[in-house]
Amino acid sequence: MPVYDALYDYMDRIIHVLVRHEQGAAHAAEGYGRITGEPGVCLATSGPGATNLVTGIADAMMDSVPIVCITGQVASHLVGSDAFQEADVMGITAPITKWNYQITDANEIPEVFSKAFHIAKTGRPGPVLIDITKDAQFATFDFSYPKEVKMESYQPTTHPHPKQIELAAELLNKAERPYILAGHGVIIAKAEKDLIRLAEKGGIPVAQTLHGVSIFPTAHPLHVGFLGMHGNYGPNILSNKADVVLAVGMRFDDRVTGRLKDYLPDAKIIHIDIDPAELNKNVQVEIPIVADAKNAIQALNKEIKKRSHSAWIKEFQKCYQLEEKKVIQNECDPKKGKIKMGEAIYKLNELTKGEAIIVADVGQHQMMAARYAKFVKPNSFITSGGMGTMGFALPAAMGAKYALLHPPNGQVSDGKASLDREVICITGDGGVQMNIQELATLAQENLPVKIVILNNDFLGMVRQWQELFFKKRYSMTKIKNPDFVTVAKGFYLQAEKVEKREELMGALKRMLKSKGPYLLDIKVEKEQNVFPMIATGASVDEVRLE
Amino acid sequence: MKQIYTITAFAENRPGVLYRIADLFLRRKVNIESLTVSEIEHTGQSRFTILVHAEPLLVEKLVKQLYRIIEITKVIDSLDQSLIIKEIALIKITAKNLERRREIEQLVHLANGKIAAVNQSYLVVEKTGTEEEIDSLHELLKPFGIKEFVRSGRIVVFK
Repeated sequence: MPVYDALYDYMDRIIHVLVRHEQGAAHAAEGYGRITGEPGVCLATSGPGATNLVTGIADAMMDSVPIVCITGQVASHLVGSDAFQEADVMGITAPITKWNYQITDANEIPEVFSKAFHIAKTGRPGPVLIDITKDAQFATFDFSYPKEVKMESYQPTTHPHPKQIELAAELLNKAERPYILAGHGVIIAKAEKDLIRLAEKGGIPVAQTLHGVSIFPTAHPLHVGFLGMHGNYGPNILSNKADVVLAVGMRFDDRVTGRLKDYLPDAKIIHIDIDPAELNKNVQVEIPIVADAKNAIQALNKEIKKRSHSAWIKEFQKCYQLEEKKVIQNECDPKKGKIKMGEAIYKLNELTKGEAIIVADVGQHQMMAARYAKFVKPNSFITSGGMGTMGFALPAAMGAKYALLHPPNGQVSDGKASLDREVICITGDGGVQMNIQELATLAQENLPVKIVILNNDFLGMVRQWQELFFKKRYSMTKIKNPDFVTVAKGFYLQAEKVEKREELMGALKRMLKSKGPYLLDIKVEKEQNVFPMIATGASVDEVRLE
Repeated sequence: MKQIYTITAFAENRPGVLYRIADLFLRRKVNIESLTVSEIEHTGQSRFTILVHAEPLLVEKLVKQLYRIIEITKVIDSLDQSLIIKEIALIKITAKNLERRREIEQLVHLANGKIAAVNQSYLVVEKTGTEEEIDSLHELLKPFGIKEFVRSGRIVVFK
């Protein structure tokens, strides 16, 4: 209460968005953090307010997203006494925050807040939570914000060891089939251009992880595709042919590596990450480099020789042609039957020309978006990767749109072009219902987020697994959905449903033309599968195309 | 192969650090065999001495993950040969009979222990030493009927 009372005096200077559920607040803060690199902030009350943040905090932890959560707490003399609306927020969030702190004395506020923001956005970014007891909220004190944060115990290594860079360059210069795996760390470090330069100089093909999507413009000749369980065929299968792998800002997640013991059998691995704990965690590497991706890549750029590996790159092209014939053509340009998910993404993309920011939820539509959306600008694809949090996309898209409209101090937006950039939430009929209350927030703020539901009346990804691995026993995956158009209209949003191929383009155009928030419910083929696929426990070279 | 490791962690002395350390061992399913925590000579810093029985590779990962805890300043994992190790044990034995008392006192004296407390019905033996020395005195005293046996967990200094 005292915090909100104080906010009343700052309405002109602090943008506060009243979401409808705390989980929405946490994901919206993530959306803001992902776009700007600055922590998004969410506020919640004590007890249930704070515990509702938990999923969003865990999501930010897994995906290294800077957010600062501020939670209320009962008065300090009541802490630990099972008081009304008391929850052990410090205990609950310790395993899922980069740092958390309980303020019981108002005098701690300036130092703790400056530390919190510093910790959230530096090193490997992550969520920080500050729990403030009620008495500390009521107290008055002399406020002076520390100009700099000094912490003996927290000093992330940002510059690479020169010897390691030298060894890495030596390996890359001698490689016959070098391969770059680029992840989220490249985007966090804003090192996209440096990486493109490195790849071009060394003539090295680059594959992107789920969070790495959009580091390279999709059409770049050295960009070979997306890695992982439903990634592109070539980038997965050819991993095991590479002789030198440079992994930057990625963490060898099990969705990328497949069966570990058969992963990268012939490769010497160079791994750059700012978090030392990621090095040698899943995959044993030859040359570990602890550094900020930008510094490390720039240092490598100086040492790397001009090379070309056209025969090696041709292998990726051949794989792509096969994938195109077996999967992509039918997915993006089917001639008959119901609308397909890939087709919807593909057509949307034709209209946005790859300029939009795509925020994907979790499931089949997410993989389709990662596979078929094309990008021309970096940091344009946001999704919940590590946690795989259904319900992420709608609130995260709100946060992303706010980040464009109100960039943080010191970050100049690119003017109108940036303000006008579309933020499109691609979600499923299952996922959208997990935070659907945020439609009310969109309506109240008249925030022009476009929502595309790829609606197959199933929890599609689970159904796909049931089809492939559980003899089509569709246990509890069929959904009787609400009429999303009526729901959206109930929230005072514009909305439309489309079922026929010939009406799809028109519907997408109307959505993009509309001024405010808009929901488009696209009815897609019910039992469609995402391919290629590496089954759990299979090796990356056992990719299935059908 | 699993080995005994002593993980020594230095951290800012704040509430919640032990919670985060313990949680990490829980997530990795590594049992903490013993744990001692105390403030060290430089004020504001705590020293954690954690004994685990684990694979070397896992210990390496644990150490790196411990560094993720913001308050932690330094973590060192060591094998026993690079440490000077001491532990303290208190052993309470019922002994009303004078002759038995004398026997116990003799044993304790031989084992370089001492009698920390005594009254009409019991003796408390204090033994400082390595884990093995404590184990062997414990074995020797077992026949006398041990009421309580408590050990501190190791503290170490580096060689």
